[in-house]
Amino acid sequence: MTGAAKRVPAEAGYVLPLLVLMLVVFVAPILLMLARSFTHPEPTLAHYRALFETAVYLRILGRTMEIAAITTGLCILLGYPLAYWMRSLSPERQVIAATLVVLPFWISILVRTYAWIVVLGNAGVVNRMLQEIGVITAPISFLYNELGVIIGTTNVLLPFLVLPLFAAMLKIDERLLQAAASLGAPPRTIFWRVFFPLSLPALAAGAILVFILTFGFYITPAVLGGGRVPMVANALDLLINQFARWEAAAALSAVLLVVTLACFALSRWIGARAAQ
Amino acid sequence: MVRRTIVRATVVTALAASLSLMGTLPGQAKVEEFRIVEAGGKSGESIEKGYITPFTEKTGIKVVRENPNPLGKLKAMVESGNITVPLYELGSTSMAIAEAAGMLEPLDWEAIDPDPMFDEAKKPYGFGYQYYSTLLAWRADAKPLKTWADFFDVEAFPGKRTLPDNFTLAIPMALLADGVEPDKLYPLDLDRAFKKLNELKAHIAVWWTAGAQPPQLLQDNEVQYAASYSGRVAGMPGIEMTYNQGLLDLAYFVVPKGADPEEKAAAMKLLHEMSVAENQAKAAEIVSYTGPSPKLDALLPKDRLAEFPTTEQNKGGQALSQPTWWAENRDKVERRWQEFKLGM
Repeated sequence: MTGAAKRVPAEAGYVLPLLVLMLVVFVAPILLMLARSFTHPEPTLAHYRALFETAVYLRILGRTMEIAAITTGLCILLGYPLAYWMRSLSPERQVIAATLVVLPFWISILVRTYAWIVVLGNAGVVNRMLQEIGVITAPISFLYNELGVIIGTTNVLLPFLVLPLFAAMLKIDERLLQAAASLGAPPRTIFWRVFFPLSLPALAAGAILVFILTFGFYITPAVLGGGRVPMVANALDLLINQFARWEAAAALSAVLLVVTLACFALSRWIGARAAQ
Repeated sequence: MVRRTIVRATVVTALAASLSLMGTLPGQAKVEEFRIVEAGGKSGESIEKGYITPFTEKTGIKVVRENPNPLGKLKAMVESGNITVPLYELGSTSMAIAEAAGMLEPLDWEAIDPDPMFDEAKKPYGFGYQYYSTLLAWRADAKPLKTWADFFDVEAFPGKRTLPDNFTLAIPMALLADGVEPDKLYPLDLDRAFKKLNELKAHIAVWWTAGAQPPQLLQDNEVQYAASYSGRVAGMPGIEMTYNQGLLDLAYFVVPKGADPEEKAAAMKLLHEMSVAENQAKAAEIVSYTGPSPKLDALLPKDRLAEFPTTEQNKGGQALSQPTWWAENRDKVERRWQEFKLGM
């Protein structure tokens, strides 16, 4: 920041109506709702105390983090090789590959989630095929447990990791890799000591994005979990709709928001470190 | 230059907004249309065909249905002071909770002027319009059940189960399975119920949240045994059911506190239609739930009598819910339920 005051460009005025709209329609209701956890019926921290003393909600938070971590790990394991392979394609093939990655977004997430029920169910495609081949005799329970939730969530969130990673990988200067080769480095060393560290910031950003999204994810865990995998969003749904205990819901939402902001701050810090 | 444009834009927007608001001021002369919130699905269709159609024919007032009907939505409506409907459908437990929380207005029974109704359907704050039962159902190729004890017995009746993700139903089911008499259920013995539920937990494949799930799960062979709403499985091919030890309950229509008085007056006339036996018979054709008229039995189709919850042959063996107990003890039960679901 320079010493002199920055002049706000005149065009900033065009953004003002939108800012006002966002503040009134989005930010203000959220703040009011969160304030409810502190002020209803009288200013108190009791709701937060109840939240942290009841082991139930701590367990829900812990389980959600666990599922988010597993999903993020799976997305990295699947997404990084995919992005790397896409980078090695010719430009025309790259466009096709990127389109295929984005294609699922054209289908409603609800339809995609229910499609997993058709594929993974007891009488579904996978189980019937495995039984035909003779690998198994009784159907495997893919659905209505953590496994089903992780499969569905990974499938939905994978593009969020692949696309930024792919974009960042494209920017990595080919000449750096060629320089390393000309200095005598074998391919494996080139990858691990030159390429991978350069792709790390994008990978970290994508991973944190997937973590945040999984942490607050509602629809896929609700449908594929069958009520047996309660995550934070499902607990919020219960508190808001079924039990109408909005103060507890507001407190839990505040915790969710804090975790998300912490992850976001972490990703910004990593990005700042990488820029040095 | 930019500032002038912004000021002009803001003034125009404010003008447009206030003009549109004027069009929605309450207290207009005559009600031509009002909305109701109900459960949706086949139940909603039965309301449309059985009650709304004759009502609109008689009065010319249109009724628009909205769904679904979670309790939280009603609470949001009442707290914000923005009541959009004069009628809201609630289950008996939700109604007791709403009544205790001061979210409802009393019904104007003189304006409704109902035909004869069962006593339990005629509450000061609610009109019980639909009897429904949550009962035992199973795939036709699975060993038939007779009681909840059978449902909870995985050795004699092997297979996966699905139960409703609703403790007002699951806890009485567990108690009935443990041998408690239907009329001695309340006050509920929570320790006994959760002990029984923990035994079955590993075999419950899905906790269903929508009425359409159990028949779908049975048909897909995801589960072999289910607890389901009666109207959803009655008469379905490949699925059998029994009313023995069913959990009988009533769905009520209530009036949110602060509803528009003229819409409420019109809504009372709609409630009158819901008390007429012939209309109830028409509604029962779409989904096999029964209305609150004692004269309904005679009008139901004879070959399908077994499908309905309140006929002579079925009403006897069932357990009726006790919403007042739930309104007082809900918080306690909810915490234990969450702990149970998380496996503690």
